[in-house]
Amino acid sequence: MASERLSMAANRSARPARAIGAPVIVSKGLTIGYTLHRERKRLTALRDITLTVNRGEFVVLVGPSGCGKTTFINAVSGLVEPWEGTIEVNGKPVSGPGPDRAMVFQDYALMPWRTVESNVRMPFELQKLGLSKQEMDERVARFLDLVNLTGFEKSYPYELSGGMKQRVGIARALVSEPDILLADEPFAAIDAMTREAMQSELERIVSETGQTVVFITHSIDEAITLADRVVVISFRPGRIKEIVDINIPRPRFGYDLKTHPDYGRLYDHIWRLVKDEAFQAARGAKR
Amino acid sequence: MTAYERNQAIGDGDEIDPGRFEDTKLTPGEVWNRYGSWVITVVNLTVFFCIWELFARSGAVSPLFFPKASSMFEALWHGLTTTAPPGAVVSGSIRDHLLYTLRDLGIGLVIACVIGIPAGLLMGGNRYVEKILSPYVWALASLPRIALVPLFILFLGFSVKMQITIIVLSAVFPIIINSWAGVKTTDKSLLAAARVFGASRRELYTKVVLPYTLPFIISGIQQGIGRGLVGVIIAEIFGGSNGLGYLVNRSADTFNSALMYAVLFLLVVVSLSLVQLTRWLEAYVAPWRRVEGL
Repeated sequence: MASERLSMAANRSARPARAIGAPVIVSKGLTIGYTLHRERKRLTALRDITLTVNRGEFVVLVGPSGCGKTTFINAVSGLVEPWEGTIEVNGKPVSGPGPDRAMVFQDYALMPWRTVESNVRMPFELQKLGLSKQEMDERVARFLDLVNLTGFEKSYPYELSGGMKQRVGIARALVSEPDILLADEPFAAIDAMTREAMQSELERIVSETGQTVVFITHSIDEAITLADRVVVISFRPGRIKEIVDINIPRPRFGYDLKTHPDYGRLYDHIWRLVKDEAFQAARGAKR
Repeated sequence: MTAYERNQAIGDGDEIDPGRFEDTKLTPGEVWNRYGSWVITVVNLTVFFCIWELFARSGAVSPLFFPKASSMFEALWHGLTTTAPPGAVVSGSIRDHLLYTLRDLGIGLVIACVIGIPAGLLMGGNRYVEKILSPYVWALASLPRIALVPLFILFLGFSVKMQITIIVLSAVFPIIINSWAGVKTTDKSLLAAARVFGASRRELYTKVVLPYTLPFIISGIQQGIGRGLVGVIIAEIFGGSNGLGYLVNRSADTFNSALMYAVLFLLVVVSLSLVQLTRWLEAYVAPWRRVEGL
């Protein structure tokens, strides 16, 4: 056990440094909601979110369904606009999607009429990055290799398993080498065993590419496995309830993590924070 | 082996390779699963036409109304292999009438597509166009088109124009409504993904909405073919002196039952072939939909 942990620690210092640096995403007093046209109501999804995410950091948002987690990353990606407050990426207010941010979707959101390769290439078609064709080909091949999908270039999404589809989604998100990777419950629809494998792959990939990650999940275990910081968000309207630092050394994937002395304490702590909110959400959903 | 390397080894377990197929010999059960439906169809049709033949030969129904199956096939063969002498009214030739009907149907369907596809796409894409056009579309789509035939005869006479107008009106609405529905039901998360990756408004249409809508358009055309065929036959029965509809009408008037049944049989074959053609087209342009069981 002890030697195992030693090797984990040694490994951590050996791999490329995951330098946590200057602020990349700065949200101040962010309040966002939706207009429900049918009921003629405005619903506040997120209220007064003040959060700073630093370069190279892996931040995981947890909270009950309907607490506005998705709204937050939609605001970072530029898909929705703030009602109040500000959100800045790299020092500039977000005014729509940009090539410095990319997203991985829960339902994969792959174009079914495009092959794996063509799906991964799509960001290049849409964002004029000024890359040569050769460079684009090289990157597509490199990122397909990174997610272990070499050999499936000509397959269509419907021919792939859920885990493989999501790896296509990850490759598509990484191919333009964005600063920030946004992930909205990317592994929620994937079976438990594949999910663990995907988590380890994501940890490996992000450690190689050095992206800043904002990741949403319902799974406390997934949050502890992946995060540098876990942001617990309360039920609607979502506010930050607590930010929990996870100081377990990386890489964390596998059985070692669950036997780590901090794991149980952190799990228990986060579960206590989420539990009340989850029950409230369940009651709210019934109403 | 470091923990990290071991983790990688564990991570490799989820590889699934759909390309790795092995050749196997088919068991009799699998042969039956694959070809059985063809055998059933052939046996089914053979039995059907045999019973028809025997029933007709028994004389229970006058051959003026109900020919032998063999006479029908003979009339069909004769009709398709001979051309009518000039000026003949009902000579037993079907070929010219078939080509006439197919030509009208073709022209009508092309016009229906040229009007219907852009109209449907515009209605799906623009709220105001939708609000303005939808009452007319629903009104005309739900009106039985046959009720309009006298009106068009009044306007256009017993002409090809009248016939094609009826075909267009029959075929255009399923095409409009399907294209419209395709645009409206475009997967929201595909649109969100395209936006996140930098699609402009125009690119959202060309790279997401249009490819998504294409199979809808094709099933619209598929329904349009069925309706268009109804339209062309109605138009030909009402007026004109050409086409399969006219031929059905005339052969019934002249108690040429074998010819009439031959034309009806031919209509079934034409209709099924055209629909099958669009199915293949759909499977070709949208293989993912076939897999989802549509």
